[in-house]
Amino acid sequence: MNDFSELEGELKKLRPARASAELISRIERALTDAGESADNIIRPQSRPSASDFRISWIGLGLGLAAAATFLILARVDLRPGDKTKAEPAGNTLASATPTLEQKAAALPNYQPTGLTQVVYGRHDEGLVFPRGATGPARRVWTTKRETLRWRDRETGAQLAVSYPAEEVTLIPVSGQ
Amino acid sequence: MENAATHEDWKVCFSELAPGLVLFARQWVRSAADAEDVVQDAFVRFWRRNLSIKNRALLYAAVRSAALDLIRRDNRRARREVEVFGDAERTVQPQFEQLDDSQRELVAALDRLPRDQREVLVMKIWNELTFAEIGEALGISQNTAASRYRYGLGNLKKTLRPNDEAGAAASASTT
Repeated sequence: MNDFSELEGELKKLRPARASAELISRIERALTDAGESADNIIRPQSRPSASDFRISWIGLGLGLAAAATFLILARVDLRPGDKTKAEPAGNTLASATPTLEQKAAALPNYQPTGLTQVVYGRHDEGLVFPRGATGPARRVWTTKRETLRWRDRETGAQLAVSYPAEEVTLIPVSGQ
Repeated sequence: MENAATHEDWKVCFSELAPGLVLFARQWVRSAADAEDVVQDAFVRFWRRNLSIKNRALLYAAVRSAALDLIRRDNRRARREVEVFGDAERTVQPQFEQLDDSQRELVAALDRLPRDQREVLVMKIWNELTFAEIGEALGISQNTAASRYRYGLGNLKKTLRPNDEAGAAASASTT
């Protein structure tokens, strides 16, 4: 087994160069420009997870109100009975994201049999501070290939559509 | 190093952390000026969000993120950095104070390490982060951070004292 203690000792003897005095004054200016006093105190937080990520009740209230409004409007607009009473029951409602069944509607004999997502690349782009978010998050970039498959009920013929896709995910980071 | 979180004045905190932070930032950018820009950007963002300076993993992750943002913002710079990292997998020598000949050799060997090993060494030795903190900052497991640290030291030792390795191999073969 290698003993690295001597090497570690030699490395620790190296002293990183001091940051320039200008750096501190630049940071002070930046903090002052932002309307914050440079004499503010950094208070070590005993429970950062609780204080870093406070719930914004106003934001939460507005969000809930917006969601409720959206649901009410969606119910009014998409209620089929009001406008299309003559149509037979069982019509599918429009949706922002078409489902497999909806995509297959154009192919009446084809039945959707599966959706495959193969992730072939994932890159953690590090920490970001999303605008409006209450805390930092990790930005993860995923590249994948999605394949949709249908099968003809009568003939057994199969149809597959494959396309590349990219997805950016923000994963909240909890403070410690 | 004394825990910087015990100091309440940000200047005191920052003065203690700055040399290590700038050294850490220089893993990604070529010049000391760029590294200081990165550290300034990260520290100001960190401060404005009232994050605890005790959370060092988050601070170093913010520096790393700011460095990557700087590279992305400037395409020409990005190409240059990619060329540098791609060709030689190295950056400019980290700046240290008052080096003698053997220390210069040590720094040159450090500079030749793969970047993933070098950044762990920088965080561990000159910033005194734990492997858990390093793992959190880099988005890797604690064990991976520890492995990279050991590999880094092993590679350094191999570079600096190739005779030790040869001697050890020779003595092992004769016994």
